[in-house]
Amino acid sequence: MRTVRWNLALAALVGLAVLPCGCREPSVAERQQPTAYGPQPGGFVIVAIPADVATLNEYQRGADATELTVIDMLFPTLMQEQPDYHLHPPSFAPRLASSWEFSQDNRTLTFYLRRDAFWSDGVPVTAEDVRFAFELQKDPEVGWGGFEIKDFISTVDVVDPFTVRFHFTRVYPYQLMDANDGHIVPAHAWGKVPRASWGQTDFEERLVTSGPFRLASHTPQQTLILEREPSYWGRPRPYLDRVIFRVIPDVASQVNQLLAGQVHVVEMLPPRLAERVRSSRDVELVEVPSRSWGFVAWNNRHPLFTDRRVRRALTLGIDRKSAVDTVYFGFARLAVGPVLSSMWAFNRNLPILPYDPEQARALLREAGWEPSPRDGTLTKNGVPFAFDLLFPATNTIRQDLAVIIQADLAKLGIRVRPRPAEYTSLTARLDAGDYAACMSVWEEATKVDLASAWATPGPAQGSNNFVRYSNPEVDRLIAAARTESDVTRAKVIFDRIQELIVEDQPVTFLYEAPRLVGVSRSIHGADINAASVFFNIEEWYWGP
Amino acid sequence: MLPWLLRRLLSRAIIVWLAATATFALVSLTPGDITQHLEGKRIAPEARERWRRNFGLDRPVPLRYLHWLAALSRGDLGYSWLYHRDVAGVLAATLPRTLLLTGLGLTLEVLGGIAVALVQIRRPHGFVDRLLNTITLTAYALPAFWTGLLLIYLFAYRIPLFPPSHMLSPTGELATGWQRAGDLLSHLLLPAVTIGLAGVGAIARYLRGSLLDERLEHYVLAARARGCSMSRAMWVHALPNALLPLVTVVGMSLPFLVSGSLVVEVVFAWPGMGRAMYEAALARDVPLLMGGTLVGATAVVAGNLAADALYAVVDPRVRT
Repeated sequence: MRTVRWNLALAALVGLAVLPCGCREPSVAERQQPTAYGPQPGGFVIVAIPADVATLNEYQRGADATELTVIDMLFPTLMQEQPDYHLHPPSFAPRLASSWEFSQDNRTLTFYLRRDAFWSDGVPVTAEDVRFAFELQKDPEVGWGGFEIKDFISTVDVVDPFTVRFHFTRVYPYQLMDANDGHIVPAHAWGKVPRASWGQTDFEERLVTSGPFRLASHTPQQTLILEREPSYWGRPRPYLDRVIFRVIPDVASQVNQLLAGQVHVVEMLPPRLAERVRSSRDVELVEVPSRSWGFVAWNNRHPLFTDRRVRRALTLGIDRKSAVDTVYFGFARLAVGPVLSSMWAFNRNLPILPYDPEQARALLREAGWEPSPRDGTLTKNGVPFAFDLLFPATNTIRQDLAVIIQADLAKLGIRVRPRPAEYTSLTARLDAGDYAACMSVWEEATKVDLASAWATPGPAQGSNNFVRYSNPEVDRLIAAARTESDVTRAKVIFDRIQELIVEDQPVTFLYEAPRLVGVSRSIHGADINAASVFFNIEEWYWGP
Repeated sequence: MLPWLLRRLLSRAIIVWLAATATFALVSLTPGDITQHLEGKRIAPEARERWRRNFGLDRPVPLRYLHWLAALSRGDLGYSWLYHRDVAGVLAATLPRTLLLTGLGLTLEVLGGIAVALVQIRRPHGFVDRLLNTITLTAYALPAFWTGLLLIYLFAYRIPLFPPSHMLSPTGELATGWQRAGDLLSHLLLPAVTIGLAGVGAIARYLRGSLLDERLEHYVLAARARGCSMSRAMWVHALPNALLPLVTVVGMSLPFLVSGSLVVEVVFAWPGMGRAMYEAALARDVPLLMGGTLVGATAVVAGNLAADALYAVVDPRVRT
């Protein structure tokens, strides 16, 4: 008898193990309803995200890209930025503001708001909300990550409930963009939260939204579900019933689930997996220019890298083209200078430094570096040319690049030691200037602003210039470009700045990464562009 | 018994406090803080300074430590900088999920270990015995993330029986009752098996050893002499005795219930405490890390204490 009972227990255990899952995500094929041509309401898309959305209030901390994607579907902005920053400073389409106009002297910008926009609790969206958002953006207690953007806006006045006026302290090309930056949040609901406890408030409990979607549920670290807002005031109204964000930290899992039809959108495919997606019949690979670019940061105040000839020699001594092609599988392009090639201000006549080890050796010799007779290592006054090249430990792309650079520079007699560092402590070291060289990446805004990264660090400029680059002529031109409101004249100044920076090579410009997006072919109507993957999410629909 | 227990409790409380203090020191001395974990974004140093002030990071470390201690004495674990919620709330949400996963994992491990040992003991040193030995040892040697990825590949993609990750599917998320429970179970199995597989070998080896010893005991021989079959003699007579040493092994893995599933949680995107701690560590979310450390240290200490107490009950000589 006992034996039988044990066997039963074992059988139950085995049975448990092969139990088919109760409700698996329906596959693409299962979900595809035969539909007539044209958009149909209904359905949902599942978007893979690498980390959870920590806050739905962007004024609590610096929101990351994922958080901004979700916030964008929940809260309105005054206007919608158009994907035309390659031609000129971006233009804008109406959103919450139905129209706007500048004063004669261009120092005052007036927005006329829609009268039919409402918050999810039925309260109208008014000029008071716009003023409240501006107040938050400037409040030191709130500490909004982008508060520098509003530097040249002195006040925001409520003229009447549907008219709001922005006052500028200067005239410059990005006035519209700076006024528009940041989402409009509900003053009547969030204005009651004391600023002292602002950072420690759970705004999900106080969520009042006004976008095309609203929050349906959020299980931290798992899933965030948005559903269509039935009373949305904007046009077009979304076709999709739901947009589901799934937290999948591992990129390989993201791609596997995309190919298996369990996820419909992956926003950032790693290049080594993009080929697999390209050859899939169910998923489309969409390539759009991204605004992130990679470089080797040389600490310009480190004794090894103060000499411009040395920095140029380092760039000449690295076979950048083949390194980038190898690591990015041909998806990325070589970066040339401090302005992305997809931006209107990019100088198309910039000289591209070639791979030329001979010229590199000559420059190094000129700078006093001679190969030691013992092992060929370059030395100057008895000091060998050797340094640590830092990279974030979890980033395989930058690790591979660091190793290739190590090999290339070894041929010149320079000893490079690639060193992985945990991301947060790496950032702390860069901020403190406690490093020699680092594999770095910048994520550019759609605005051409060279002041924070390339101007000599000082008040109101150079705050992100962690390579400590300094050239007085560049500083002067950057200041001039910031106030030049004529695009053609600004372009001339930007061209000259780029030439100067490329001559100085404060960093070795490596690559402009593309944004590789994987989208299920069952999704139609998606206009995935350089401004945003979800640019026209309202118009996405399911179809055969 | 009571003074013994009190002494133990006091010494264990000191251990928990030491662990927490050491963690606080470690996190505070590591370069970087919460304001520096956003990748590639240009954030003005003034904004960082403002966040630092908001989070109280502008005060010296000893003062921050005292503040934390004072709040703790009021039962306040603080506020998570990463999740924008109370630390207690984050732990209350994530800990049960971890316990569910590791609890099922441990159960599978013990049951699987017993099953394997019983099969092995049928013909010691025979082909099946050696084969199972190799398999369970291999499973033991494989790192959990690899076993997990292998299981995902086999049973989620090759033969799509189970979902590859998460605790609930999007449909399950919005469902209630049995449908939700079924969805949860199907998501639970692969990670639980991943946790269980590693330990099966260890349990089986312990049990096989003690079953081999018991096999030669007189009471087994006596049962056999009275006509009892070998397998019945093993299952009914030898197994209960052989299980005793196992109690210690399982007792020792109790702390694992809280702390052991970090890697598995990351591979399967399971929203448990392990993953919350992992992310808190990367983002330097000090309050959450401290809360997790307290829970983890208390679990380890309580597990050991329970094992000690159990031992004391079983063996009075320990009570000195």
